[in-house]
Amino acid sequence: MVVKVGFLSLAHMHAYSYGRALNNLANCTLVGIYDPNKERGIKGAQEMNTRFFGDPAELLTQVDAVIICSENNRHREFTELAAKYGCHVLCEKPIATTMEDAEAMIDACREAKVKLQIAFPVRFATPVMRVKEMLHRGAIGDVVAITGTNHGQMPGGWFVDPVLAGGGAVMDHTVHVVDLIRWFLGQEFVSVYAEAGCGMLWDVDIDDCGMLSMELEGGTIVTQDPSWSRPRTNPTWGDVTLHIVGAKGVIDLDAYAQNFVVYDDAQNKVSERSFAEDMDLGLITDFITMITDDREPSITGLDGLKAMEVALAAYESARINKPIALN
Amino acid sequence: MIRVGVVGYGTIGQIHCDALGNVPGCELAVVADLDPARRTQAQKDFGVEVANDIEEMLQTTDVDLVDICVPTYLHEQVMVKAMEANKHIFCEKPLARTLEEGRRLVNLSAGYSQKIGIGHVVRFTPAYMGIRQSVEQGEIGQAGVVRTFRGGSQFPEGWQDWFANFDLSGGVILDLAIHDLDLCRWLFGDVQRVYAKTSRGRTTAHLEHAMIVLRFKSGVIAHVEGSWTNFKGEFYTTMEVAGTNGLISYDSRTTNPIITMAVPEESMQVGAVAANPYVLELQDIVQAIGDDRPPLVSVQDAFGTLQVALAALESTRTGQVIEL
Repeated sequence: MVVKVGFLSLAHMHAYSYGRALNNLANCTLVGIYDPNKERGIKGAQEMNTRFFGDPAELLTQVDAVIICSENNRHREFTELAAKYGCHVLCEKPIATTMEDAEAMIDACREAKVKLQIAFPVRFATPVMRVKEMLHRGAIGDVVAITGTNHGQMPGGWFVDPVLAGGGAVMDHTVHVVDLIRWFLGQEFVSVYAEAGCGMLWDVDIDDCGMLSMELEGGTIVTQDPSWSRPRTNPTWGDVTLHIVGAKGVIDLDAYAQNFVVYDDAQNKVSERSFAEDMDLGLITDFITMITDDREPSITGLDGLKAMEVALAAYESARINKPIALN
Repeated sequence: MIRVGVVGYGTIGQIHCDALGNVPGCELAVVADLDPARRTQAQKDFGVEVANDIEEMLQTTDVDLVDICVPTYLHEQVMVKAMEANKHIFCEKPLARTLEEGRRLVNLSAGYSQKIGIGHVVRFTPAYMGIRQSVEQGEIGQAGVVRTFRGGSQFPEGWQDWFANFDLSGGVILDLAIHDLDLCRWLFGDVQRVYAKTSRGRTTAHLEHAMIVLRFKSGVIAHVEGSWTNFKGEFYTTMEVAGTNGLISYDSRTTNPIITMAVPEESMQVGAVAANPYVLELQDIVQAIGDDRPPLVSVQDAFGTLQVALAALESTRTGQVIEL
């Protein structure tokens, strides 16, 4: 079986990496791209060597599955549309910007009997998978504390628009780490405290700094730093790190550590180049085999909802300066 | 020549005695310790007089400066005795175990005629002094978000294992993370509120990991992490300050110019630079006495840091945000 895939919007830059993965896999084909931004869609279609569709319905009748890389607040409308046409969905993170939208997406896919997967590619990074295996076999005993970071540069564009993105750094960079920890330990977060600051580092009217302090149902304590605190001169976009303290040992995970450094006088620039395996390829491979094998998504809509719920609670906590209990 | 009496010849007392040998204008005159084996060791190590405790030390030996290196919960009583004898005082951090002890020391020190300095040694550590200078000069613009880490080595050894007794030591927050709480106060000023979590109670007493989230009055957000773990590993510290114009990033693991593998007993280098922070902090009090100026870290200043650390402990106990 060759899975026919289309894109609904290229607003999120991850689309281009997913597109490369689709073009590299044998058991799928990239049929085309719909993008409400016609210019971006046409250009993207050229880059990915595929067709641009001016009408999403036309694309949806020709594909088995879609990848939604729209602005966060439009995930729901595109998911509902895909479900209506019986297409499976891979939706970029965060799942949505409100609980109501996330629930509606999950319901729509369930009712239409299509699969909904959320794009948390970091789960497919080789070092991350290895740490999950280490924790599973008890390499460091019971986990008691975790400090995470998902730093980044300020992404600009619609990411700093409160309506389109649903939040700034806290929304953008909380969900990856929260998802990894839920996946590692199989436990839910029960409380969230957060500090957040708007325009503290950049000229933006949205949170660009944050610090979350949380607790899991088993009592493990967790902090997460989602700040857009990497300067323009940083040699790379950012990081995903976890310092995991167990009763019998400690693991320091730096998911993007596999780099060499290039010092480029011509560009007056220092940059890191990855030699790691491509986690986006891992995510897309998993999504396609989910369809060919007709199995459940490895990252469900509920996973997406739970991660977003923590980010939303963090905003509420930062507003009232009190910890928030989660059910 | 300022004659120094060190009270307490445990881990930190021994470090101070070593450091004093490199501080011009002073000499180690006497070491006091309750443990006879430690007294014998001090005699052997430095050929100095020894005493059972501070009282005996003050009766038998002429000292100008009392250097207090006893466990935290004994700081107040030893410092009070040194003050009654009208001596100059240097006391290890933290200032005290409780707010009440700290407040009494603040009151007693107001108007005290001799010098009192508190050993917040990180303020004398070259890497952090450099970071502070960069921040103060505005090299990275306005500071916004800050992270610090301290720990990674084995659990500290202390007299009667006092570090493991929370009532005596205050755990990793009051003993270890307080270094970075003090550092952050030194760099970013007064703290508005604190929220903290610790693993204490979920593991053995010889493992504690704590994470403290701070909001400063200036708006700065900080994450201070302290770790006592009982695993084999080197002690290390990190610091990051992100500002409107850039980022300062420090990791002690990547700044050691000498890495040895063949000779384990030589692998512990004190810092990556020639200046030893313990020498610098003791030099500061000795110079303060000579120049009749205040030492860098006053009782009042150390009390400010103690308040933040105790607020963090209060937060771990109640699960609430503590406003200062």
